[in-house]
Amino acid sequence: MAAIFNLNHHAGYLSWHFISLSVPNVIVIILMLVVFAAAILAPFPGTGRKTGGHS
Amino acid sequence: MSVSSEKSWTVALRKRAVAALPPEKLLPDGQPSYVASWIYVFGVLSLSSLVALILTGSILALKGPTWWHTSSVGHFFNSMHLWSVELFFFFMVIHLWGKYWMAAWRGGRYKLWLTGGITFLVAVPCALTGYVSQQNFDAQWISTQAKDAMNSVGVGAFFNLTNFGQMYSYHVLLLPIAVVGLVSAHVLLVRRHGVVPPLELEQRKAVLAATSSPGGDGPSDTPNGGVPS
Repeated sequence: MAAIFNLNHHAGYLSWHFISLSVPNVIVIILMLVVFAAAILAPFPGTGRKTGGHS
Repeated sequence: MSVSSEKSWTVALRKRAVAALPPEKLLPDGQPSYVASWIYVFGVLSLSSLVALILTGSILALKGPTWWHTSSVGHFFNSMHLWSVELFFFFMVIHLWGKYWMAAWRGGRYKLWLTGGITFLVAVPCALTGYVSQQNFDAQWISTQAKDAMNSVGVGAFFNLTNFGQMYSYHVLLLPIAVVGLVSAHVLLVRRHGVVPPLELEQRKAVLAATSSPGGDGPSDTPNGGVPS
């Protein structure tokens, strides 16, 4: 079965002054920011329902 | 209870442990309502990734490099171990961001913040020693590149990335023990101090505490109601 992404080559790099980041690392950083924003904004299932304990 | 048993160190330790973490706090059956948010799940996701890491790593350690490089089942567990560490750091960074913006060191929780931060710092060399213990060209490339970084900060004589035996010992024993110990302390501190409340909730509680009578029953989710002591 062929891989979805061909990883058998060197990663591309994004450079800005002294900052140099590989494209895979940039993708992961962007993904983390997206998940972080989604975690704050997305409604939690059952919100408004009493969760017990010290509500 | 006899006088001798009262002086026993085991009795003293038990009393201190139960006072610090009574059973209902150690294993609670409910959480504050503000915990019903996705941002609060990244701690337990990091913990779940760590469990997956330890389980897959234990299997790899039992079977050895030939197995994980040549058999399909070995490839599977090797990949599981890799993706567990990817997810561990992914979730841990989001957990860190969330707690930073919540100022999670409030209410006497500075030890929680410290153990979390140190865990992150210890996890980095734990992962690095894993990458150089793969027993392939990737490991050789990483170790020869990273040794220059170690030499430049003066630790190359003690932490030799090209020494497989030393790196493997660090990776499967010393650093995992440190990470698990720190994470255990972190989780116990969460149980002791409670999950940090959102900033606006704490401000409201501070106003309520200031306006209510001294002996009144104010809302409380933590030993000190989440108000900085």
